[in-house]
Amino acid sequence: MSASSPALTQTDRGQYARDRGTVYRPLQFSILKRLITYMRPHRRTRRRLTIAVVLRAVQIPALAWLLGVVIDGPITGGNVRGTVTGAFAYIALAALTQLTLHFRQRLALELGEAVVHDLRNELFVHLMRMPIAFFDRMRLGRIISRVISDVEVVRTGVQNVLFVTMVGVGQMLVAALIMLAYDPPLFLVVASMAPVLWGIHVFFRKSFSLATRRVQESMSRVTSTLAESVSGIRVTQGFSRQDVNTGLFRRLVHDHSGYNMDQQRIHGVFLPLLQFNTQWITACILVIGGYRVLSPASEMTVGQLIQFLFLAGVFFHPVQSLGNQYTHAITAMAGAERIFHLLDTAPEWTDTPGAVEIASMDGRVQVCGLGFEYRPGEPVLHDINLTAEAGQTIAIVGPTGSGKSTLVKLIAKLYLPTAGKILVDGRDIRDIDSHSLHRNMGIIQQENFLFTGTVMDNIRLGRSDATDDEVAKALEHLGCMDLVEALPNGLHTEVGEGGGSLSLGQRQIICFARAMLADPRMFILDEATSSVDSMTELRLQEALARLLRGRTSFVIAHRLSTIRNADLVAVLVEGRIVERGSHTELLEQNHVYANLYRKFAMDSETVA
Amino acid sequence: MESSTDEKDAKPDDGDPPSTTASNWPLIKRLLTLSWAYRAGCLKILILQVVVLVLGLGALGLSGVGIDYLRHEITPGAPDPVWPLGLAPPGNWSSLAVLLTIGGSIVVLALVSGILNYAYHVAVADLVNVKIVAGLRSRVYDKLQRLSFKFFDSNASGSLINRAARDVRATGQFIDSVIITGIIMMLSLGIYLTYMISIHPLLTVACLATTPLLWGISIRFSRRVRPAYLHNRGLVDDLVLALSESVKGIPVIKSFAREAEAERRFRDANRKVLDQRYWIFGRISRLNPTVQFITQINLTILLLYGGVLVIRGELALGSGLVVFAGLLQQFSAQVANISSIANSMQESLTAAERVFEVFDLPIEIASPVAPTQLSEVEGSVEFDNVSFAYEPPNCVLQNVTFRANPGECIAILGATGAGKTSVLSLIARFYDPVLGGVFVDGHDVKELDLAQLRRNIGVVFQENFLFSNTVAANIAFGHPEAAQEQIERAARTASAHDFIMEMRDGYDTVLSEAGSDLSGGQRQRIAIARAILTEPRILLMDDPTAAIDPETEGEILGAMQSAMQGRTTFVVANRISTLRRADRILVFDHGHIVQQGRHEELIEEAGAYQIMAKAQMIDAESLDILEGAADT
Repeated sequence: MSASSPALTQTDRGQYARDRGTVYRPLQFSILKRLITYMRPHRRTRRRLTIAVVLRAVQIPALAWLLGVVIDGPITGGNVRGTVTGAFAYIALAALTQLTLHFRQRLALELGEAVVHDLRNELFVHLMRMPIAFFDRMRLGRIISRVISDVEVVRTGVQNVLFVTMVGVGQMLVAALIMLAYDPPLFLVVASMAPVLWGIHVFFRKSFSLATRRVQESMSRVTSTLAESVSGIRVTQGFSRQDVNTGLFRRLVHDHSGYNMDQQRIHGVFLPLLQFNTQWITACILVIGGYRVLSPASEMTVGQLIQFLFLAGVFFHPVQSLGNQYTHAITAMAGAERIFHLLDTAPEWTDTPGAVEIASMDGRVQVCGLGFEYRPGEPVLHDINLTAEAGQTIAIVGPTGSGKSTLVKLIAKLYLPTAGKILVDGRDIRDIDSHSLHRNMGIIQQENFLFTGTVMDNIRLGRSDATDDEVAKALEHLGCMDLVEALPNGLHTEVGEGGGSLSLGQRQIICFARAMLADPRMFILDEATSSVDSMTELRLQEALARLLRGRTSFVIAHRLSTIRNADLVAVLVEGRIVERGSHTELLEQNHVYANLYRKFAMDSETVA
Repeated sequence: MESSTDEKDAKPDDGDPPSTTASNWPLIKRLLTLSWAYRAGCLKILILQVVVLVLGLGALGLSGVGIDYLRHEITPGAPDPVWPLGLAPPGNWSSLAVLLTIGGSIVVLALVSGILNYAYHVAVADLVNVKIVAGLRSRVYDKLQRLSFKFFDSNASGSLINRAARDVRATGQFIDSVIITGIIMMLSLGIYLTYMISIHPLLTVACLATTPLLWGISIRFSRRVRPAYLHNRGLVDDLVLALSESVKGIPVIKSFAREAEAERRFRDANRKVLDQRYWIFGRISRLNPTVQFITQINLTILLLYGGVLVIRGELALGSGLVVFAGLLQQFSAQVANISSIANSMQESLTAAERVFEVFDLPIEIASPVAPTQLSEVEGSVEFDNVSFAYEPPNCVLQNVTFRANPGECIAILGATGAGKTSVLSLIARFYDPVLGGVFVDGHDVKELDLAQLRRNIGVVFQENFLFSNTVAANIAFGHPEAAQEQIERAARTASAHDFIMEMRDGYDTVLSEAGSDLSGGQRQRIAIARAILTEPRILLMDDPTAAIDPETEGEILGAMQSAMQGRTTFVVANRISTLRRADRILVFDHGHIVQQGRHEELIEEAGAYQIMAKAQMIDAESLDILEGAADT
């Protein structure tokens, strides 16, 4: 009956569709230049590709020209042998052209994929270097957009835009030159249509991309509503809301198809207009060219007129695809811009250059004058001083929002303090290599992430070379082997995405075992047992006591037993430690802690 | 004559792997039945397309005639142009006038065909987007909402969303990209063929000799490459999974210093995508040149054979050779269409299967045909020997029997998996028991009207999903026409009124996705208000304090307490504070009730309850200190 946690990747994608709405912006050459540097490692491919592109730009008009020549010469001239020779020349040239096309396509595809592959790796490595704080702000959906969708757009950009544009422009140029050589005035007539076509393109591209954006936006509303409905299905059914929802959804779908129609209407004007243009040009060539053929002053032949018809086709064909390329280029550019922006986001902090790797630690932790603010001017911790001797358990107690979690996260070096410092074994943790620090430290949170794989795989995350026996031993040591054995396939049960097929208690046990296996000197527990039902919690508490034995630990907890057994209880209120001492001492002080305790006691009873 | 439309690349396909390889025929039949409902729209589209096609050919033919006319004018002995429909221009017209007429006719034809083409486009969009897809989408959505929880338990939410979003689109594709495109292909091939044969039958046969080859290659290609694309999709999914898990699990990765492993996993997945795509690229970049080359072979044959025919005077230069060249190209373009039709077919079949699957799912939990009408619910609930399993035979409840009187508060306690939540789910009939019966006011819930039953039951979940809508709309979720004062009354009872009034727009504040801008305690209080808005007689609360810290717990406890007032309440609880207020506590273990009674009774009884309770209570030593401190 518990509502499933919303896995809203779809909605995130929807939002991505919204934030990619930057359709209308000029090309930025700095981004293009940077993108081109990614081709450098593949320069051999690039060089071969350039050759293929140039060849193709010449071959396409040459083929049309040859066809014209054969018709103009041998066929109209009645020369059978010439016709045969011409046909063979044509097929030979055609074979060559297709061979070039093969390489042109394959190399471009491979180059684009290679660039994108490198980009993805770079992005991932960059992400892994980011401190945790970065992931608090950047949502998963966005990250996936960057690494998957944006990169995909760039791929199409590299594979298509650049080289298709080069071929297209090249073939137009060569066709223009041939036409110019045959009949300059007629060519001018043909060429004068180019700006008209271009104008139509610019006009429609604008309104079309606007319409497309509306379609995307309305679609993302549809998907996010869907996602919400699926996530909230239990609530919907529990409240018999199905009919109301269906009505709302129908309206959204209706809107969406309306926008779709708008888009298609624009498309429906645009495409016929382009075709009309082709016919218009044909008619022009026929009338003007025909007039010139008939007039005695000109030397133009019927064959040349046919030649012109063919060449005009070659000349105008790329116009349409070039227009599309521009849109692709803009989209790719926007994708690349977002990717580069992410790559350029420097980690807020990294280890200091001289950071030392520590092999092991005793576990003495001193917190000196610690202060922290997430946003400048809004401190959440003030002047915290605290010492944990090796092996001690420190309980941190306080109301919601008092800064408990922030304090332990700072001790774990997931964030860096804005004031004061934290010493481990007398050394500032800023000067300790983060990896080596974390290897000696176990962190368990309220909800811990499990990776796809078996229970065994997840526990082994604590130490990758652990044997099956060692994993089992860790569980036995925690006294929780029976809980795992109760699973359908015991240790080899698949945990499902995010641990979805396990209960919270089972998930926590796995995390404990994982930490046990890593055998760190120090532990940080952020409300590790609070979201578990009370029967399971008793088991977890026992396991926890075994886990913490002999290790320095900082524990945020609000269950009494944990606090009672701590060596030191620190009471945090509004970012300050207001009380400290053992459980008994604090009760005797009869102040904040005692009051918290009393509040609890009002709701429960005493054990006689 | 060379076209450059080939200068584009195949984009990775969006289809899902076909789930069955069994015969597709029943599925196709069903799709055809679906399409039949849209026959009028389809027919209109087909007629428009045929007219556009014929007009296009008319223009092509006219330019051929133009060429022939020119040749006739300047080359003595050249054959007379063949005028279309015998409409020869009057002999006294000047050559320029004839040329202008031909040119003008081409332009007029183009204009008419342009307008019809527009109508064609709009008709397709209207049929597909407005009629078919929107209709299917609403139907899928409606059905999804009525399916049992069981269905949602066993299906990933992403897959469900895709069915209503993407699969529906792909299913609609069957009509436009398969049926209509297919018929158009057949018709236009027929028209081209007729035209070509009318020009010169033997030349037609010679030039089209390679067509079966073209057809075969296209189909073979799509058979080989399509599975590769599907495989690629799987590889990309792996890549996304590697990424999303690394991001979601970043605290774990950092705290166990596992960055290197995460990186290796991602790199491997990335590499696999690259390698497999290279394989696909190799295939793609062989197909296009081959197909084009075949077209060029046809053109060569035309040049050779057609050229000789022109020389012999058996074929006109313009309306013969040039027109033929144009026809050949359009013919091959249509033939190459076969592979895209095959792809669309495959895609739409896979999608349709998933869509129909939703349509065909039985609504497991539905009102009986003739439900017993309850005029007023009293609120007694009875379990009679109930056994229940999410996935038989693993029973989560076994032979459970108990009775709750109207107005009683029953607390349910037990370890995870003991069956607590199942008890609540069965009362609201989110599931049906395998054995035994659940009775409300003495009626088996299976005999009651489902909506009526649920209207009389308020549900507060463990984690309550709030919708991205206003606070008021969230509270009035089960009863959208509720008056503002009714909403406020519910909010007050749930101690939510005060904090709602402090929000930016009070009750009109729009909550962010899943209510993430509220604290856990606030979310739960809104959920409680939502549950009691309609004043249900029975209230089910599934441990609403589970995910809340004890400091905030107090606020919710108060809300829960006042919500329970005068209602039969079932509350799953773990904290003594709630348990001791219950009229009765049922302690569950592995699907059985192992203890039941009031707190005062159970605490004296050796058993699970006592152990759990003692752990939560203040020990005597601490109490002494506290009392001592209070005295001084």
